[in-house]
Amino acid sequence: MPIHEEHLIRPENIKTKDNLVIDGIDVSGHWSTFIESRVVTDYNEEMEEEIAALPGGEFIHRCWQCGSCTNSCTVNAINPEFNPRYWIYLIRMGMESELLRDKDIIWQCVSCNKCTYACPRDVFPEGVMKATSHWLELKGHTEKSPSMHFDEVFAEQIIETGKIEEGRTIRNFFKRTGQSLTQDWMIQMVKNLISNLPVKLLISMGLANVLRPKTRNWAAAGAAISEYAEEKQEEQREALGLTELVEMAKQETESLESKANS
Amino acid sequence: MTKPILIVGGGPAGLAAAHSLAAIGQKSILVEKEDILGGAPILSGYAKLVPTGEWAKDAIGGMVERVKNNKLITVKTGTKVQSFTGEPGNFKAELSDGKPVEAASAILCTGFTHFDSVNKPEWGFGTYDDVVTTTQVEQMISSGQGVRCPSDGRTPKRVAILLCVGSRDRQIGREWCSKICCTVSANLAMEIREELPDCHVYIYYMDIRTYGLYETGYYWRSQEEFKVKYIKARIAEVTSDGEKVIVKGEDTLVKRPITIPFDMVVHAIGMDPNVDNLLLSELFNVDLEPHGFIGKGNTYGDLGATSRPGVYVAGSATGPETIDDSIAQAHGAAMSAYAFANDSSIVAAE
Repeated sequence: MPIHEEHLIRPENIKTKDNLVIDGIDVSGHWSTFIESRVVTDYNEEMEEEIAALPGGEFIHRCWQCGSCTNSCTVNAINPEFNPRYWIYLIRMGMESELLRDKDIIWQCVSCNKCTYACPRDVFPEGVMKATSHWLELKGHTEKSPSMHFDEVFAEQIIETGKIEEGRTIRNFFKRTGQSLTQDWMIQMVKNLISNLPVKLLISMGLANVLRPKTRNWAAAGAAISEYAEEKQEEQREALGLTELVEMAKQETESLESKANS
Repeated sequence: MTKPILIVGGGPAGLAAAHSLAAIGQKSILVEKEDILGGAPILSGYAKLVPTGEWAKDAIGGMVERVKNNKLITVKTGTKVQSFTGEPGNFKAELSDGKPVEAASAILCTGFTHFDSVNKPEWGFGTYDDVVTTTQVEQMISSGQGVRCPSDGRTPKRVAILLCVGSRDRQIGREWCSKICCTVSANLAMEIREELPDCHVYIYYMDIRTYGLYETGYYWRSQEEFKVKYIKARIAEVTSDGEKVIVKGEDTLVKRPITIPFDMVVHAIGMDPNVDNLLLSELFNVDLEPHGFIGKGNTYGDLGATSRPGVYVAGSATGPETIDDSIAQAHGAAMSAYAFANDSSIVAAE
């Protein structure tokens, strides 16, 4: 059955029954497709309090849905599905199933804190995003995110040794997230590092002192630039009424020179 | 000494006008159709008032005592004005107790009538016991009974307050904003949460109009301190599954239909023109404004003037009004009525 603007309907809400008779009328098959409406039938009143109990979520109850956070959001500019205003609303009203639909987007917050400065009610939306990610993870809705693994590796090392040794942090992080140490991006990064090492730079700086290298075929370009600069300077002197003085000075110099010559 | 000034209505405005006139040595006659003074806050049993949080019976009760004990004020309760004739400065009124009264000028403080929710049948008032009005919740609180579901007396776990019931609704001929209901509802929501901390309160709104300084003390405070939830939705209908009342509508911020069960639904009822306004208009020969409230004759010059010289108006007779603004208007109208009574020739010459 053709459905107008079908992309707006969630696939699971489109129902076609192979065998369905209601009040003696056969309503099975493709041409009797049902569309279930997305009705909110209850509020989960615990949700707001749970999020508020996690660090960052404390001020969620202040939100009055102005949308300043979403408008200022760095991630929203790239992914319109990333909408802090909307999630804060879902949490406050307890629309859990709706929030869970976005569980794989919420962690994308980059903590730029533009929302923090835009929010007129000091809701601290960036903190709410953190708290929400944490909530999703604690409740078992999402896996531990890579950044969470990194934080843990980092913290464990400090707690154990009181020091940070980057190589070990990275190794442990890769180990924990099941990543190999020889990844393409990593090999590329090492190559780039080597080719840009300051050794080469220092050598070329030293040589430059001795050889004073010049750009090839530079003379014509240099003359054109000088000419242009002289032209502009002349214009400026004229604009400031300095032309006569310059002229007088020039003549004086010439006469002195001619006297000296003669 | 001039003739007394006639004040019609013994609510906050009438009480304030009488007191104000007495304070400058002017006699007045206060006529109230009900058997007690105090107007809507007393007759309808309001609980704590905005913005001071005083109980209505204390705040308005104090105004009543002040008027009752003043020798310059003649109080006539259970009395109506039957006729009002004569000339400005020399009015003659006949009261329902048969006594004629002479008055130099008059102030109408005839107030408003609460919107009757039966006129919005789709919202379940009169059909389901647990659909009540803000006035009923005020009474539950002020009587000391506490907030309970009328059907079986249980303590509600979830309450919905619907705003703009009888306001801003062209379908029922009421275009005006009743001005006070948002603030009153936020106040009630906080009182419910205070009495029943386990009860969740949801306010369904079109706009929130806790105007001016009420923003902090009511709209913000109700959310920040009392965790009251505000949902932008105009409710389509209130039904029941036999146990709970079910609120249906669209949550416009998430673009989803909602059908949410509640223990109790509260209508934030608006302020209608006094049901007697057509009679009053004819009796005192004053014009009504297009919504049916008593029209103001002069906004910037003669405070409280109506279309008829010598007859003034104050309070919610002129349109939806708060108690404190009604009192302020009454002082203004009293000043105008006093000036008129004492030098009507000058005022008339202007």
